[in-house]
Amino acid sequence: MSSTAFGILKSGYVARDTFVHRLDGRTKFLFFLWISIFNYLFYDLYVTIASFAVVMFLAFVAHIQKFVITILVIIVLPIVLLGIGIIGGPFGFAQNRTTIAAVQLFGFTIGLYLEGTIYVSVWTSRLAVTITAALLAYLTTHPSDLAAIMLKSKLPYKFAYAFLATIQLIPILTNEITTIYQAQVSRGLNVQANLIDRFKSIIVLLIPLTLGAINQTQIRAIALESRGFSAPVKKVMLRDPKLKLSDYVVMTMIVVMTGVFIYLIWTRGLVPFMVGIKYVRPGG
Amino acid sequence: MTTEGKDTGPKTVERPAGFAILQIVLIPVIAALNYVTGVIINILKLPLFMDTWATMFGTIVAGIWVGAAGGFLYNIIMAFTLWGLPAWVWGFINIFIALITWVLWRVGWVTVKSPLKLVLAGIIIGVLNVIPVTIINWGVFGLLPTYAGTAWIYAAVLASTGSAWTASIISSIIAEIPDKVISLILAAIVASRMPARFTLRPPKV
Repeated sequence: MSSTAFGILKSGYVARDTFVHRLDGRTKFLFFLWISIFNYLFYDLYVTIASFAVVMFLAFVAHIQKFVITILVIIVLPIVLLGIGIIGGPFGFAQNRTTIAAVQLFGFTIGLYLEGTIYVSVWTSRLAVTITAALLAYLTTHPSDLAAIMLKSKLPYKFAYAFLATIQLIPILTNEITTIYQAQVSRGLNVQANLIDRFKSIIVLLIPLTLGAINQTQIRAIALESRGFSAPVKKVMLRDPKLKLSDYVVMTMIVVMTGVFIYLIWTRGLVPFMVGIKYVRPGG
Repeated sequence: MTTEGKDTGPKTVERPAGFAILQIVLIPVIAALNYVTGVIINILKLPLFMDTWATMFGTIVAGIWVGAAGGFLYNIIMAFTLWGLPAWVWGFINIFIALITWVLWRVGWVTVKSPLKLVLAGIIIGVLNVIPVTIINWGVFGLLPTYAGTAWIYAAVLASTGSAWTASIISSIIAEIPDKVISLILAAIVASRMPARFTLRPPKV
């Protein structure tokens, strides 16, 4: 994963005042779950492209399109290129029948096949939709709201703590590894060395990082206990998120669209719009 | 708390007060270490994932529950941020790895004092891990080639067998075994360097 992707996770919440930001975190996570599940049910490029258009539109509304596009380029684009090159190409994917294009190279015919290309496009656009929906929920929900939502959803407060502490720890440890890396480079660490030496370099970077992180757990544990973390009392929240009219409108739309999707599956199956394309099971 | 080693490495210490809360605080550290290792891999330009070493490390120093919970949490964070919802199922891989690491640690194979056993333990983890990896690749990625490092192997196997299943399994084996061997060696080395007062491992019965 590239440093850009880490940078996005380090930045966490993107503070803006948009329609998406004002929605309750529960609504956004419900939308994320809902659109992910339905995208994995349909085997139809039109459905996934329409879903992708919706989530990208919302990303633009929330002003997080730059983050989303960067992540998609890093994570999804390589899978698209590899997938179309191999599954859609001349490597023998069992479903390939219809040639879209073919070139003659050194006496061999190298073709690109419709079935394999559609297969890869459906799977990768599913991924793109779920990743965008996840980022939409994560980057537009304040961490304190996340904790409050977890507690309101009856999740154990220890889980809520662990989740939020991880999000807090990631940038801290990322900064620490930068410091350790600079210190080790000044002591002769060579990141351009051969493969074996680079493997050895992991140890000199990870031991100080890990011991430092473990050391801090003692301090964190004392700090938590001093605030009554294990005390057998009902926990209270700093924030108390409430559902608003806009949340109910979005939830109503989700219910209506669920009905539409169920009707589509009932009447037209899992490939409702693509003509001449059959449902292909995972792996062909 | 007991550990192996006479002169070096962790020693037998009293179970510290607040043992349970230390374990809870350690869970996010394990998750974040799995994550930050990606930064190191990126800096060193290594052809591995290494995002389960901290799960193994957590299992060695604090027990199966800490390792499994830390590893699972790492995947939950990634699923709700960069990888998208379906990727949460990778969390079961981390639970699986914590379980196997714990079993192998219990039988004394996860120790820097027996390098051969340690490497064999890594190979066992890598081979067994191919099973859940293939199941998840099937359900989440449609058995597509997702890793550029082994894509050529995938293409070669697909071309010779016509089976995406075989291509996915073989390319997973090629990627998983070195990854898990090196991850386990790393986890064992770092655990052996832990001062005794930080070790939270429950005693072997």
